[in-house]
Amino acid sequence: MKDLKHMIYFEQLLEDANNELVRKAKGDGRLALGYTCFHVPEVLLNLGNCFSVRLRAPNMGSFDIATYYMANSACEYSRALLERAIEGNYNFLDALCGVDVCEPMNRSMENMELLKLHENHDKFFRCYLDIPYSDDEDCVQHLKEQVSRKILKPLNEVYGVDVSDGAIREAVKVFNKVCETVRAIGDFRKLDNPPITGSEFHKICLVSFVCPKDMILPYLEETLEEIKTREPDADKKYKARVGIVGSEIDDPSFIELVEESGALVVFDRFCYGSIPGRNQIILTDDEDALTQICRQNLKETECPRSCAYHKLDYRREHINELYHDYKADGVIYEQMKFCTYWSFERTLASHIMQEEYDMNVLSIDRPYIARSSGQLRTRVQAFVESIEFKKIKAKNMAKEK
Amino acid sequence: MKYYGGCDVGSTYTKCVILDENGKMVANSTIRSKIIANESAKEALETAVSQVPELNKVEDLDYLIGTGYGRNKVPQAAENMSEISCHAMGVHVTNPNVKAIIDIGGQDVKGIAVDTDGTVKTFAMNDKCAAGTGRFFESMARAFEISLDEFSNLSLTAKNVIPITAQCTVFAESEVITLVGEGKPRDEIAAGIQQAVAKRCFVMAKKAGATDSITLTGGCAKNEGLKKAIEKVLHIKVLDLDIDPQLMGALGAAEYARNKGLSREG
Repeated sequence: MKDLKHMIYFEQLLEDANNELVRKAKGDGRLALGYTCFHVPEVLLNLGNCFSVRLRAPNMGSFDIATYYMANSACEYSRALLERAIEGNYNFLDALCGVDVCEPMNRSMENMELLKLHENHDKFFRCYLDIPYSDDEDCVQHLKEQVSRKILKPLNEVYGVDVSDGAIREAVKVFNKVCETVRAIGDFRKLDNPPITGSEFHKICLVSFVCPKDMILPYLEETLEEIKTREPDADKKYKARVGIVGSEIDDPSFIELVEESGALVVFDRFCYGSIPGRNQIILTDDEDALTQICRQNLKETECPRSCAYHKLDYRREHINELYHDYKADGVIYEQMKFCTYWSFERTLASHIMQEEYDMNVLSIDRPYIARSSGQLRTRVQAFVESIEFKKIKAKNMAKEK
Repeated sequence: MKYYGGCDVGSTYTKCVILDENGKMVANSTIRSKIIANESAKEALETAVSQVPELNKVEDLDYLIGTGYGRNKVPQAAENMSEISCHAMGVHVTNPNVKAIIDIGGQDVKGIAVDTDGTVKTFAMNDKCAAGTGRFFESMARAFEISLDEFSNLSLTAKNVIPITAQCTVFAESEVITLVGEGKPRDEIAAGIQQAVAKRCFVMAKKAGATDSITLTGGCAKNEGLKKAIEKVLHIKVLDLDIDPQLMGALGAAEYARNKGLSREG
């Protein structure tokens, strides 16, 4: 396929947390608000002159210093963030919005606080949202209270940001445009021969998380127009179509590894993916926007931390739906090494989705940076080959009949 | 006559098998892997090709498939496949009755369930560390200051087993050196090592669906002490293969190459 016009630029933007667009926005006097988790309603970090930056750790080397402050058994993502924070990679932030969702992320941010990594910034604030485990109305009200007190109030009091209902609705409009564009690009993966690869899409999705929304939107829109007329390769080089489901992936090279092993990644149900990360927010006028945003966030989360039975069922049914919508041949359940919640979900799903939903499932745990893992490549390739052989067998059986 | 090749570039050894169009193995080679994977593949392929009078060079092979960790570095290969698929097929063409395999390679251990046609039903892979792999045995043999072959048979004479508690290759080597230094019987220490590895194989065997029998592939399949330990610890029969178990990956790759080559022509 012909190269996408902005792909190299997108790759450059992903090489540094403090990327070109972030620097430009900061230069214009705007506020960079860091966050790490879907449970912080992203749109609320984009009010007025604020913009959200979902933290990644590009150029990560060893975790030695972070491991000293944390533990070997803390997930590599949490250690990577702390390591890069100590190295000064997030000094550009004006606030950091954390969540008490999992212990390692909590420890990571707590250590950033204890190490006084932002003490030169007199207005800098950080918070830890307490996130409910389910999605009933009590939970919605709790999340609303947390967000109001720990994010909106300091934004207003410290930085003078307008946090009114009107301002939130304005932010939702821009947010929705980004989501609509990214999802429209992603929908091309439903085609029999998509004009976009999974790794290209992942990069597009990632830039939408780490750059100011209004600044990245024109590039995304242009990319969407380009893809509409992009000719896919006539010769299909992939042996199988797979979806990836699981914990944090912000490393496009992992998706590249999967695709180099012969599987086209057609849907992305993982943290930093587009499902549900790039769902639009549908607001009505009969209730304040904040409540609706909190409700949608809790309803749509697919984090296995939400352990109510209906949430468990919802996640499995949703994967089944995606599997058919995107015409997948298999699903890769992955987890970041030592991610407690996903280790349960992955283990159960690797049996349930195979036995009860009749899916081909590969279950893997992976390091934060997976590019150089030859073993991981072997696992994925063997999975792809087993799918390929099943397809050949089914075809031959159909012929015999 | 047309010929088909499979080249398994492993982390420790590189193996090559050539089949004729009837599926008969007409040549094979095994060499110690070099640092540069394609140099290993080249040498193994040339050695095997030299055993077939009708072949002058590697390019004369009708279809060639690479496998193993260096599978994408095999010169002239039409494609590459994972060693998991290839080991399953290699064992299947050698003994179609085998349904479960433990492949103990130089750097990892795999459990593979084989379907009725030689394809992979399921697989599991222990790639977290070198414990229980070929590297582990090399390290243990070094601690005893004997060859790998000598080490493989050492435990067969043991009347007792001295358990090894360390799982890590580095710590296990240190523990073994301590035990040797204390003057403990070497065959009993060796039996402890074999037992420790056999226990590590248990999970793989279960994941491969093994019930009453299993086959070992990879270089460690030649380790008689390990075979005995697996039979004892897992209460499971280890089936021997008629062909060198170390060649199974290359053989499977060659069989896939034969099928693909023939179907391309047909």
